[in-house]
Amino acid sequence: MNEEKEVEEQSKPLVLEKLEEHYADALLAQDETRGTVVIVVRKEQVYAVLEYLKTDSELAYTFLVDVTAVDNSQMESELMQFDYARFMVVYQLYSFQGQCRVRVRVPVHENDLNIPSVTALWKGANWLERETYDMFGINFEGHPDLSRILMPDDFEGHPLRKDYPLRGRGERERFNFDKQNA
Amino acid sequence: MGLDFVGQDADQTDGNIITTTIDKVVNWGRKNSLWPMPFGTACCAIEMMATLASKFDLSRFGSEAIRFSPRQSDLLIVSGRISIKMMPVLKRIYDQMPDPKWVISMGACASCGGVFDTYTLIQGVDQFIPVDVYIPGCPPRPEDLIDAVLQVQQKISSGASPKGVEIVV
Ligand code: SF4
Repeated sequence: MNEEKEVEEQSKPLVLEKLEEHYADALLAQDETRGTVVIVVRKEQVYAVLEYLKTDSELAYTFLVDVTAVDNSQMESELMQFDYARFMVVYQLYSFQGQCRVRVRVPVHENDLNIPSVTALWKGANWLERETYDMFGINFEGHPDLSRILMPDDFEGHPLRKDYPLRGRGERERFNFDKQNA
Repeated sequence: MGLDFVGQDADQTDGNIITTTIDKVVNWGRKNSLWPMPFGTACCAIEMMATLASKFDLSRFGSEAIRFSPRQSDLLIVSGRISIKMMPVLKRIYDQMPDPKWVISMGACASCGGVFDTYTLIQGVDQFIPVDVYIPGCPPRPEDLIDAVLQVQQKISSGASPKGVEIVV
């Protein structure tokens, strides 16, 4: 029993094997943390990779757990790593079939915040992408209604960015009642 | 409860007639049948629920008829964090309540923003709606809420106007 387990741990996860076979040029890096495979994928191929992860019959990562982003602007080493990309868009997937997770990270540059929307693959991505847009300003191209979801519609800025002041820019004192009630 | 407002002339009437003023009778009724409108947006609301449930039992003080329609209530209990997106909703609910109405600001968050000194949180609802009684604590214990309701009752029986009403003499 124990031997078997060891063998399993040493062998490469199936998802990495298959991705290296089909999308080797899309993979920027790979890692494994706490049983989750983490891959960094080029933005241009992210839609194809996610579609492959979902539809491949052996992998079947059919459940999109979360879409979010990370602002790395205060992490020098990470910035260096992927060509000074400020943001990382993160997709967390789960496969009911294999009972395993994979995390897909995508470097996004500050001067090009566009990334393809995955709402066509998962309907549940709709609100997750809206939240990521609201908080980080990532522009999901092809999203059916990319509007704010948490902050008021007339809010300016993206508050989870590291350069957004914690106490805001005075909006909590000067927000407009009449406009909001109208 | 107590009929302390009653003036009695027992000698002349054999105790069968009591005299008082209309204001005192009305206030006596009001104070003993406050109908709270709960505005629970966060953890404080859990304590408010406990206050209403059997263990603490706010109905001992006549305020158990919780209304989820502002038009049927006269005591607004703001319990929890109010964000800048929620404040217009709270204001609208306050506006819909019929006069006279009282407001309790329950907990640190509703009263001053609490630990959430952030871009999105109202630092005290009293910037936008008049508050009669503040309850400190994070969260306040149910006894604190009961005490606040009693303070509102005291305010009513003393004949004082609610904070949100201009006194017309
Ligand atoms: S005062 Fe404390 S318990 Fe009440 S809503 Fe705020 S954080 Fe929650």
